[in-house]
Amino acid sequence: MKISILGTATTKFGELWNISPRALAKEAMISALDASGLKAHQIDALFVGNMLSGILGNQANLGSLLVEELGVNIPAFRIEGACASGGLALHNAVNSLKAYQYRTALVLGIEKMTDHSQDEITNALMAAGSDEERLAGATFPGVYALMAQAYMQKYKVTEEDLAAVSVKNHYHGTLNSKAQFQFEVSISDVMKSSKIADPLKLLDCSPISDGAAAVVITSDENSKKIKNNVYIAASEVATDTLSLHDRKSFTSLESVVKASNNAYKKTGIKPKDIDVSEIHDCFSISEAIATEDLGFSEKGEGAIDIAKGKRTLFKGDIICNPSGGLKACGHPVGATGIKQIVEITEQLRGEAGKRQVEKAKIGLTHNVGGSGTVAAIHILRS
Amino acid sequence: MITSPVKLWRRQKSASSLIGKKGKILHWTIIRVPAKSFVDQAPYPVVIVKVQNGENMIGQLVDWQKEDLKVGQDVVCVLRRLRTEERESIIYYNIKFKPL
Repeated sequence: MKISILGTATTKFGELWNISPRALAKEAMISALDASGLKAHQIDALFVGNMLSGILGNQANLGSLLVEELGVNIPAFRIEGACASGGLALHNAVNSLKAYQYRTALVLGIEKMTDHSQDEITNALMAAGSDEERLAGATFPGVYALMAQAYMQKYKVTEEDLAAVSVKNHYHGTLNSKAQFQFEVSISDVMKSSKIADPLKLLDCSPISDGAAAVVITSDENSKKIKNNVYIAASEVATDTLSLHDRKSFTSLESVVKASNNAYKKTGIKPKDIDVSEIHDCFSISEAIATEDLGFSEKGEGAIDIAKGKRTLFKGDIICNPSGGLKACGHPVGATGIKQIVEITEQLRGEAGKRQVEKAKIGLTHNVGGSGTVAAIHILRS
Repeated sequence: MITSPVKLWRRQKSASSLIGKKGKILHWTIIRVPAKSFVDQAPYPVVIVKVQNGENMIGQLVDWQKEDLKVGQDVVCVLRRLRTEERESIIYYNIKFKPL
């Protein structure tokens, strides 16, 4: 079965104080429907990726809440897997199509974070971690900082090498009008930014953001006739221990290795075949490790390859995060996995404008929850 | 948020058996932007420790000097007040690490 991506949409990402979560979600859903040329009554089900609505907004039952905005009575599901909620929502939607349960589904990722104070957000995000980590006073930047310490020590990589990830992604962000940050930063800006959890500094960390993204997917055979059709070649999920300290390796994420290997195996696609990818760079260290786990770079060389420009638009071989990634485009956690799909779809259709990767035919998205607790990998083809 | 006394009671059973256990720091960081209940302790180190029995644990390092923040540093499990609780909450004690 071929599952095609029809319409896609993202809202602006950023501090959207004048817009409610409900309105934000509606904007993304309606825009994606418009782009697909379908009406709400032609959709069989809605899948919503969201992490924090219950914790921060005391709002559960998101499926029903958001389907109300569409004015229909279709089945609707809220899917949660921390920062991989979006990727998991899409995976579940894909599975339901493959099972012939539904033919066309709307998949939404939504998060509203900036209504709340920074320590509330820090606290809420730690819901993705374990009891042991929370009781240790660890934070998400803290957990990734432990990985960064391990990585830097093992591979003799410097903080400047990691800073190159943020420099690249901010450069890409300048080419994306939806991005939260559309300005460049330098290595020295990153190095001079305030420390969050040593060795990670403010500019190593993705921001707190509001945003929504939506895609319409279908198994309808007629969609193949669409010009520039993009389809989902693989949708794979894998998990790992909730706590970082319970793992064998602190410098590689088993969930990413497993999910991506399954995706490569099922499609026959190899890492070097990937033209463009959206990587879950919640922290600079995350993208460095991701490019190794996905097979783009050798072990210990992920950050160095990024610093050399191998992942940068217009000069690299496998481009990572043309949208600006989580760092510059913003990271509304439930929306991120779907935004990645929107970006890769635009790239493969040749509709990415100023940040178009030339002749992009195969794209990959890498969406991670917790400290690598869950990973959703999608491979898209034109 | 008030910690559930039941949850606390259940968790504390395991804490006492760890007091005095020794281990070595595997990795460390310093948390400078903590969650609300840890704000008055920041900045503080969080470490992953390989404990004598071979198990890895994560915890806060207390009574520390800068030179204690290194891989291989010997530490011991101690019982400490965990964090700042709400006025109505039971004061929570838990295992933290102290340099040796």
